[in-house]
Amino acid sequence: MAFAAIFVPNFIFQSIARSEPELRIQPVAIIEGSPPTYQVTAYNRLAQILGVNSGMTKASAEQFAGVQIRHRSSAQENIAHMALLDAAWSVSSRVEDAAPDTLLTDIDGLARLYGSEEEIARRLLSRVSELGMDANVAVSANVETARILARAVSGLTIVSPGQEWRFLETLPVAMLAPSPQLAEIFQRWGVTNCKSLASLPVLALSERAGQEGVRLRTLASGRGNRPLLIAQPADSFLEFFELDDAIDNLEPLSFLLGRLLQQLCARVSARALSVGRVQVDFALEEAFESTIVPSRESRGARPSPKTFSCTLQLPVASSDATLLLKLLRLRLQSRPPGAPVRKISMRAEPARSRAVQSGLFAPVSPDPQKLELTLARIAAVVGQSNLGSPQLLDTQRPDAFHMGKFSVAVSASPPLQEASRATQTAFRVFRPPLPAWVQVQRNVPVRVALQGTLGTVVHASGPWRTSGDWWEERSWQEDAWDLEIQFPVGSETPQALYRICYDLLLEKWWARGVYD
Amino acid sequence: MYVELHARSAFSFLEGASSPEALVHACAAHGMPSMALLDRDGLYGAPRFYLAARKVGLQAHIGAELSCTAGGRYPLLVTSAAGYHNLCRLITRMKLRAKKGQGAVEPVEFEEFKNGLVCLTGGAEGPLAHALRAGGTGRASRCLEELCRTFGKENVYVELQRHFSIEEERRNQAAIGLARTLGISVLATNGVCHVAPGDREISDVFTCIREHRVLLNAGRLLSLNAERHLKSPAQMAALFATPAQMAALFADLPEAIRNTEELASRLKFNLKDLGYQFPVYPTPNQESQMTFLRKRTSEGVLCRYGANDRRAAQQVERELSVIEKLDLAGYFLIVWDIVRFCREKNILVQGRGSAANSAVCYSLGITAVDPVGMNLLFERFLSEERGEWPDIDLDLPSGDQRERAIQYVYERYGKLGAAMTANVITYRGKSAAREVGRVLSLDSETLDRLAHLVSAWEYTDSKDTLARQFQDAGLDVEQHRIGKFFALCQKIQDLPRHLGQHSGGMVVCQGQLDSVVPLEPATMPGRVVVQWDKEDCADMGIVKVDLLGLGMMAVLEDSLQLIRRHRNEEIDLGHLPEDDPAVYAALQKADTIGMFQVESRAQMSCLPRLSPKCFYDIVVQVAIIRPGPIVGKMVHPYLNRRLGREPVESLHPLLESTLSRTLGVPLFQEQLLRMAMIAAGFTGGEAEELRRAFGFKRSEARMKEVEIKLRRGMDAKGITGATQDRIIQAITSFALYGFPESHAASFALIAYASAYLKCHYLAAFTAAMLNNQPMGFYQPVTLIKDAQRHGLRFRPIDVTRSAFECTLEESPHGLLVRIGLCYVKSLRKETALRIAECRAAAPFLSIEDLQQRVPQIQKDEFRALASVGALNFISGDADVHRRTALWQVESASRPTGPLFKSRPLRGEAGDSGSHSPLEPMNRDERLEADFRGTGLTLGKHPMAQHRARLDREGVVPASRLGGLRDGTFVSVAGSVIVRQRPGTAKGFVFLSLEDETGIANIIIAPPLFEREHTTVVHSSFLRITGTLQNQDGVISVKAGKIDPFTLEQTEMISHDFH
Repeated sequence: MAFAAIFVPNFIFQSIARSEPELRIQPVAIIEGSPPTYQVTAYNRLAQILGVNSGMTKASAEQFAGVQIRHRSSAQENIAHMALLDAAWSVSSRVEDAAPDTLLTDIDGLARLYGSEEEIARRLLSRVSELGMDANVAVSANVETARILARAVSGLTIVSPGQEWRFLETLPVAMLAPSPQLAEIFQRWGVTNCKSLASLPVLALSERAGQEGVRLRTLASGRGNRPLLIAQPADSFLEFFELDDAIDNLEPLSFLLGRLLQQLCARVSARALSVGRVQVDFALEEAFESTIVPSRESRGARPSPKTFSCTLQLPVASSDATLLLKLLRLRLQSRPPGAPVRKISMRAEPARSRAVQSGLFAPVSPDPQKLELTLARIAAVVGQSNLGSPQLLDTQRPDAFHMGKFSVAVSASPPLQEASRATQTAFRVFRPPLPAWVQVQRNVPVRVALQGTLGTVVHASGPWRTSGDWWEERSWQEDAWDLEIQFPVGSETPQALYRICYDLLLEKWWARGVYD
Repeated sequence: MYVELHARSAFSFLEGASSPEALVHACAAHGMPSMALLDRDGLYGAPRFYLAARKVGLQAHIGAELSCTAGGRYPLLVTSAAGYHNLCRLITRMKLRAKKGQGAVEPVEFEEFKNGLVCLTGGAEGPLAHALRAGGTGRASRCLEELCRTFGKENVYVELQRHFSIEEERRNQAAIGLARTLGISVLATNGVCHVAPGDREISDVFTCIREHRVLLNAGRLLSLNAERHLKSPAQMAALFATPAQMAALFADLPEAIRNTEELASRLKFNLKDLGYQFPVYPTPNQESQMTFLRKRTSEGVLCRYGANDRRAAQQVERELSVIEKLDLAGYFLIVWDIVRFCREKNILVQGRGSAANSAVCYSLGITAVDPVGMNLLFERFLSEERGEWPDIDLDLPSGDQRERAIQYVYERYGKLGAAMTANVITYRGKSAAREVGRVLSLDSETLDRLAHLVSAWEYTDSKDTLARQFQDAGLDVEQHRIGKFFALCQKIQDLPRHLGQHSGGMVVCQGQLDSVVPLEPATMPGRVVVQWDKEDCADMGIVKVDLLGLGMMAVLEDSLQLIRRHRNEEIDLGHLPEDDPAVYAALQKADTIGMFQVESRAQMSCLPRLSPKCFYDIVVQVAIIRPGPIVGKMVHPYLNRRLGREPVESLHPLLESTLSRTLGVPLFQEQLLRMAMIAAGFTGGEAEELRRAFGFKRSEARMKEVEIKLRRGMDAKGITGATQDRIIQAITSFALYGFPESHAASFALIAYASAYLKCHYLAAFTAAMLNNQPMGFYQPVTLIKDAQRHGLRFRPIDVTRSAFECTLEESPHGLLVRIGLCYVKSLRKETALRIAECRAAAPFLSIEDLQQRVPQIQKDEFRALASVGALNFISGDADVHRRTALWQVESASRPTGPLFKSRPLRGEAGDSGSHSPLEPMNRDERLEADFRGTGLTLGKHPMAQHRARLDREGVVPASRLGGLRDGTFVSVAGSVIVRQRPGTAKGFVFLSLEDETGIANIIIAPPLFEREHTTVVHSSFLRITGTLQNQDGVISVKAGKIDPFTLEQTEMISHDFH
């Protein structure tokens, strides 16, 4: 048996340097966190020489001359990891995905294809290198030894069978990744390297450090072998397409989307699954934005979007690419990306196909797929934010609600309730509120002009004052009045009860609604 | 005229957003004649409210909102003294039966305590709103009828609040209807929670803190608008008589406004009529308290002064006549009684503070300083003019002994007769930033960084503002949310957060203390606290006795016991040799580590110059390194005069007798009082008034008044012109910070005792110091290294020998100190005590034997013991080193199944498991394990092993600095044991660097500190290069360059003073 371990040192940095190779000859600090608390999470050797350290704030790192700052990107790390897997799979089909930066491969039997173990290792190195990363590769008859050495020794390491301990003995115990508790025990014992750990009597060690201790001792002595955990295909399916020229028309875009959907559905179907959710991420053209120097006032404002996402959550999983494309088209018709598309990333989450039989006495509900299609058609007309079931928000702000997803209740119709005896007044809300003109005397509205008609206030009740969100830039402050207004004879509604509001921040009057 | 009768202050913890003073000032600004404060479930803010109102000539109505088990909070207003007592008792009852911070009144209890109280129906939290919500108008009507039955119809008011809320208005309409039906008066209030509309933001933040929410998810818990601010009478009148639709509905509602004035006129109670009485001391044979006091004093005079000291007898008689006139005999007897109890129980006790000015206190054994011999000023303690209770503070050994004294007072005066004073915990920089930041959803890392940046030093330079700290934390106050964060942090500074317990202040009362001030349970079991803090109690004329825990008293007491046990000597601290040469030699050399009050860096730098030669010099030494003399620029003139570099001259010939003892330089408060008495003809009481006028609560007008009086007095005595100005200048600048001579003398006595014990009984004193940590300026490791330099030997922690505490052991070299198990950091006290107990029964044979006999010993504890070498001697002569022990404990501490229960113990015959394959620890590893496991080492100082290298690099050991010339350029290196940035030192930082030979003092100028802030604050070891300063034997290095000194992994702990 022979195993090769591939390890990409400083993976966070290298995953970014893949797409910006010029960074390899500049000091670079990778930061993460949320503003304003960015901290350095990784850096390259040139930055280290300058004095950059982990945990440093962005401001501190920027003080070093010439240091390039980049944000950590989990997307780039994922893609780099996928690339690493591709590199390994291109050589051997038996790959263990040990960590984002570490892969273990079984290279047994590959000699006829690629030559000696060293040649196989070199091939692995070159494949990884072609994908823009530098790696360490270690080959050993013992998979764990290969893993440890790949992480500990730069470049290529070929271990002759039976000589594992020689390579391991000087390595610190920390390379074996003991648990924090065991690491502390070893530290107290003065067991600092693999040699001293390997020399401990196994029974006595078992008595003291348990099975983990024995396992680490085995690793330290180069005898820790095990079968590989062959990497399984991912739970989600990703397809990616980058365009040479950005597209700003739905038709050609639909063509590409259809192709991607077909590929996705085919992959999903092959595993006897259906698509439960599709997320499409578009990277948009930024040409216009990059030429604009932001003004001082606009710096704090929300930046223009550089990506656009569209998600289809299917009530019933489906692998019908045509249906999915229709839904996607309708969604994009109602809410287009807003800028030419440069990249498309499409991720499908699989779900098991569902077979449901309706109850004999349950009311007939619409076919979920047809309902979804209908809702998408409506959304294309009225807009996504105007469709769904309204849900009140927990705030003092008047008329604050958001639209939840519309769905048909599964339960039977609600039990009949005894009609309330109290008189209920219905309130018809104007959305958006109607602008109004109001004449005020002694702080009370006396005349109101609404939709071109001037009326006289017969009764005024209020003000009902609310304010809030003072910690946000968009706070609100409003005085609401319930006004009984007499309009001139011949008007459509000669007398009505309105709620009229005065926005104290904007200094404007609005009609919020009318009482029936 | 409208009167606000329902206001909450910030003492409705996390509900009200303004201080009582702010409410009073706003009330005065609105021209209201009075106002009522109704805090939630207590009278916490009442004294401050009353005092602030008295100052501006307003009447402060007292009341509270009480939670009820039936739901809602009942707003109760006090009309009379009886009502006040009822309210206090009602609050006490509901509080004492519940956990801290909880409690509610049973509805039936209102019946019992109704007299003198008026009940309002409240706002949204009130009983009426609660009833309306729960059962509509029917239930609300029953609720009102019930209130009328309980309090009487004339004592119930239907409260109407208008905050422009439609829900509230609906409730108001229902309430008005009910009030009319039942014939109950209506009353307008604004349910005030804060002074200004903008304070609503604080109110919302407090709501979130209280409800454990953040603003983003607090939703409808937040206030609807900003209308709960204190409104002017005109604003309120407009609310209840608007020309809008409401005018028709509430056409008769001006009566709601009128009724506020009418009800206010019924609230006759004033907080000055507390009804507090100090307890009567129960004398035998029905003697009067005064007669009994005279007898006890006479006995004391005989004992302290003998029969023929006429001066003392006269002074005592004068004091007794003042005490009699002020009717304070009971107070002295009660304090005497506590002291007597302590003496009986062998608890060291000594009065401190101004009580040391009293010959009566000295005769009664309350204090230990002879005020007659030291010519101290009695008026500083007590005077007829002041009309205040005297203040006697008792120092007791901290810990259990002090608790015994406190429990004695509880037993003596009953649970409802004595209580601790409260300590109001207020928002400060860090707590404000942390809590407000959390509410604003700032991430915890930012908050940690900000909290770290909030200056912790005593000194804050002008640039060290909150704005700068925000900037340093990377927060841009220009951003809206950060700006709000910044503003709110500033606004909530000093607002109360919750109630704590004062460390030692106790109040006692004749009869029921709970009718004077509400009592509530403290977090500590068995403790009851009053709802007012120490200052409020003093301001309200409640007598307090401070039973203060003093670490050094515990050290002295422990030292005496150790000396008694091991040297068989009885030391009487009251009769120590007066002029012990060893003590003065140590003081003159500033060899004072561990000595009370004279061990600080500043004291050490002054001692060689002052060079104490007698007890009074120690009194001066204790008093001179204080903000008063330093700010008043008295230190250098005094030291220069002492060293003969300046002529000794007084401000005026008349003042010579007063200032001669301090070489013409005023150093003590008493001297200032005497100066006022001699130069301006003030009486003792007037002089004390002067001190207060210029004291902490100084007011410009009052100071001006006193100054005019001073000048008039001096004019009359013929002291004019520049001399008069100089005297005025001395008095006014010094009164704020001056240290009382009596207090200094009491401290000097303890300082002398600690110095004496250290010089003559080093082993006992060091063991006692180590057993009473944390205390003083230095970490245990520094105390040990200092004792080692003085020749004391130590023995390491050993489970076969060590007790929980450090003990003394006999050896051919004399007594040595065995370090106790208490120094093993992760060893629990109960485990340590159990080890000692089991060992007393039979010695441990092996680690497994220890494990089997002390089964509660945990794995981490075992490891900690092994790491620090405490198990090295457990197997008798067998070769056990720390790693062997560590090897064995890992197996011993693993659970054993029943099969192996009966196998032979390691160390017994048939066992071979004690062999360890591990290498012994080397010196560095042992040092590291010592510091990690115990925070100290008995081995060589970590610097010692680097000496050869340091010598090559020209680094001078601390002990050799004294032999170098002033101005020499030197390098020193060592562990940082103390960092200080005193408030009076203009930004200079003082470090003490310890190496194996001693301690080097370092001075860092502000610009260098700014540059090297991180290194100075965070490095354990430093190498400093700079200029040696050798002035009058005071040696220090003025730093020019600061570098961290890398030294393996050892981390020394410094004591940083902020």
